[in-house]
Amino acid sequence: MRQLIFAMIFLLSTLSFSLGSVISDVDKSDIKLSTRFDGTSLLVFGAISPENDSTSLLVEVVGPSTTVNIRKKVRIWGIWVNKKIAQFQDIPSFYQISISNPEHPLLKEIEYRKLKSVFYDFLNITSISEDGNSTKQYYDELTRLKKKLGKLSTFEEKINIIDKKLFSYKVNLPKKIHPGIYKIKMTLIDQQAIELSKSEQSVKVSKVGVQEFLSSNSKNNPVFYGLFSVIIALFLGFTAAQLFRWLYR
Amino acid sequence: MQIFLPIADVPVDLFVLLILGAAVGFLSGVFGIGGGFLMTPLLILLGIPAAVAVATEANQIAASSFSGVLAHLKRRAVDFKMGNILVVGGLLGSAVGVEVFRIIKSYGQIELFVSLCYILFLGSIGTLMFLESLSTIQRSRKSVNILKHKKKHNWIHGLPFKTKFKSSNLYISAIPPVIIGFIIGILASIMGVGGGFILIPAMIYILGMPTKVVIGTSLYQIMFITAFTTFMHATQNKTVDLLLALILIVGGVLGAQLGARVTVKLKAEEIRILLAIIVLLVCLKLALDLMMTPNDLFSITYGSES
Repeated sequence: MRQLIFAMIFLLSTLSFSLGSVISDVDKSDIKLSTRFDGTSLLVFGAISPENDSTSLLVEVVGPSTTVNIRKKVRIWGIWVNKKIAQFQDIPSFYQISISNPEHPLLKEIEYRKLKSVFYDFLNITSISEDGNSTKQYYDELTRLKKKLGKLSTFEEKINIIDKKLFSYKVNLPKKIHPGIYKIKMTLIDQQAIELSKSEQSVKVSKVGVQEFLSSNSKNNPVFYGLFSVIIALFLGFTAAQLFRWLYR
Repeated sequence: MQIFLPIADVPVDLFVLLILGAAVGFLSGVFGIGGGFLMTPLLILLGIPAAVAVATEANQIAASSFSGVLAHLKRRAVDFKMGNILVVGGLLGSAVGVEVFRIIKSYGQIELFVSLCYILFLGSIGTLMFLESLSTIQRSRKSVNILKHKKKHNWIHGLPFKTKFKSSNLYISAIPPVIIGFIIGILASIMGVGGGFILIPAMIYILGMPTKVVIGTSLYQIMFITAFTTFMHATQNKTVDLLLALILIVGGVLGAQLGARVTVKLKAEEIRILLAIIVLLVCLKLALDLMMTPNDLFSITYGSES
């Protein structure tokens, strides 16, 4: 119902905004990671006023940055040992890109350009292993592993376009996501992949409750957290002893 | 029901953890073992990062050993002087162990290190237990043969810093208990075990302590060492998952109480063989994981490590 109302508002507003522009909104502005968090989805919607039929809409979802290490298992004395071979510094922990027109002629090029600007440009090579891995291989491994973990998707999700003016797009977030700001970028492009108009939304993902209390104290107040953990354990040990003494009196 | 562990940073099933806690607790109730040496590798096999499994298990043992010490205090079965000397050695060992742990972790090799320690450890304990139970069963089928343990003078009695342990009725050097405590501290901090299965034989055969104070005194030391180890891991490595510890404590307490009450109904030696088999299976699984060609040679980790 809410979507429908928003859609109506957008439909009305399309009358007034200029050609080649995009406006958007998201159905929630914050996501709470509680202990029970099991993944969630976001609905992005809005209106576009394409210049002509060849205008396409790109939607990107960019998660907070983290440093990612690529490790390769190597065999030493009969056992497999992890060896760090490359590092990507401060790259989005989650990245998803979709296009309204999957037949866009420059699709491959757009994909490469985007992946380069968010991931590939941040590579630090730590070691070239014996079989001489190339930077291309690191790119491919990063892309493959991220896709495997559900942290990357390129042109796999569909953007719904209604009457060439309204769009809606569902983002599925996996259960293991990094807290922080998730940016949703909508861009209108033409056949030559030239940007015509942009719109951006952001969603705040944060830990709450027990999750927030334990993880922030563990990081920021380790002395308190350590004492707290010990005291809780001793208290529970004491309670258990008393309880069972009383039960089996 | 799925829950997300804040420090381990993995989703796990709450009931699986509770049942695991109860099952290991049950075994500890039956055999009078701590269960850390089973719980830590099982947590790792469940997908909890090794560093978190070790530190969190230390936290759980702090709870269970405290509860055990309270029972033994009532019976006056704790040699405090011996316990305190063991604690001194243990605190040093734990501090050293946590530092070693931190260094290996910074190289990104803590999983491998903990796995190797466990393979070595479970392999030898499991084999020893298996052989011992086999021979006991064979012996009991033939004739009852009671081995008497005599107090004898050995190299221990030639060491300096001799002191009197009234509750244990001993007059020995303080050096061996400090060294034994130190080793237990190392084990607790790098493997997340209480170390009772080494501490208890060491107290009886090396120190010559009377059996009546051995268990109480070992629990007394283990409680201090695991509490200290928890604190050290929390401050040095930030790997104590209190939520995971709470679940394991609850499951463990229930299981242990149940286990302690069914002991009489089971034939001890045959069950001990079962335990030995479980230990060897866990060991085998860890070893296979290291030796078999992985499906995916590549993996990713987050954050900066050297």
